[in-house]
Amino acid sequence: MQVTLKIFRYNPETDKKPHYETYKVEAEPTDRVLDLLEKVKGEQDGTLTFRRSCAHGVCGSDAMRINGMNRLACKVLVKDLGTDHITIEPLLGLPTVKDLVVDMEPFFEHYRSVKPFFINNDPPPQKERLQSPEERARFDDTTKCILCAACTTSCPSFWLDGQYVGPAAIVNAHRFIFDSRDQGAEERLKILADQFGVFRCHTIFNCTLACPREIQITKAIGEVRKAIATGRLD
Amino acid sequence: MTLPRRVPLGAALRYRGGGPMWAWILHRISGLGMILFIAGHVLAGFGIQQLGGDWAIWYNTIYESLYFQLFIYFCVIFHAVNGARIIILDTWPALIKFQREFIWLEWAIVLPVYALTAWIMIQRSLGG
Repeated sequence: MQVTLKIFRYNPETDKKPHYETYKVEAEPTDRVLDLLEKVKGEQDGTLTFRRSCAHGVCGSDAMRINGMNRLACKVLVKDLGTDHITIEPLLGLPTVKDLVVDMEPFFEHYRSVKPFFINNDPPPQKERLQSPEERARFDDTTKCILCAACTTSCPSFWLDGQYVGPAAIVNAHRFIFDSRDQGAEERLKILADQFGVFRCHTIFNCTLACPREIQITKAIGEVRKAIATGRLD
Repeated sequence: MTLPRRVPLGAALRYRGGGPMWAWILHRISGLGMILFIAGHVLAGFGIQQLGGDWAIWYNTIYESLYFQLFIYFCVIFHAVNGARIIILDTWPALIKFQREFIWLEWAIVLPVYALTAWIMIQRSLGG
């Protein structure tokens, strides 16, 4: 089948404004959108710029807007889109560096702000820090985040105000807040109770729908919000 | 130079967030509609009782028109039911796994209640 790709283009060295370019490529219904981008770059226009790395939905490099919704280009098949016209644009809410590449620094700044690392000041035990299967299951969902930014850049609250910490940072805070071995919950909850923290979430669900790892992000945000409101981690 | 992070309204509205995103947008529009209603209510009364004149009668005609009342009634019923959905989901995050069902339930409440009331309003309006 022939697929028409309409791709957002912006070269900071030559363009004053962004524009769209259209490419026609031969594709199988089982091809991924990333395969089509590789075909365009390899066969038609070597200047097309996009991020990719593992190409198997693990590294989170190739998150972009595909037919109006944030997805990983390496996880979306042509047949899943149900059309032979595909529009590809960079993520919203982050500065566009070139074509489909956005500056991820503001995203990672929010990520770092919630202290996404293990905090425990007790002396380390001789073996591992023990945890029951139930305690591990409490935060299992939020361990799956690959930091692709699909959730944060699908959030209207983040579009309106880039100071909002965003769903991905809250998910990664949740992963440690509800970890029975961690001792930094109070510190993180204080950070997230800030005016640009969890209460900026308006339960819109764009993040949950955009997550390529199917993390229940709105639920995680709700649990963090409840922990702040009640002061309990149950 | 990088393009700034500004998100144009058109690009935001084209994002395919689905039912919950449109419910959020409608929640904002209906909230503004109710502000318009309250402001209209105060202005219409003040205009007629204190100022009189053609503009007050013109304004009151719009404020009391069937179309305006139908719009305001939709704003009130949608804002109330959608607000209740958000409060329930925010209070009990465990229910968030049923968020799609909640959206359907919301419309299953809003549409019949609105249609029935709108029908009565239209009938009375036509009947004088």
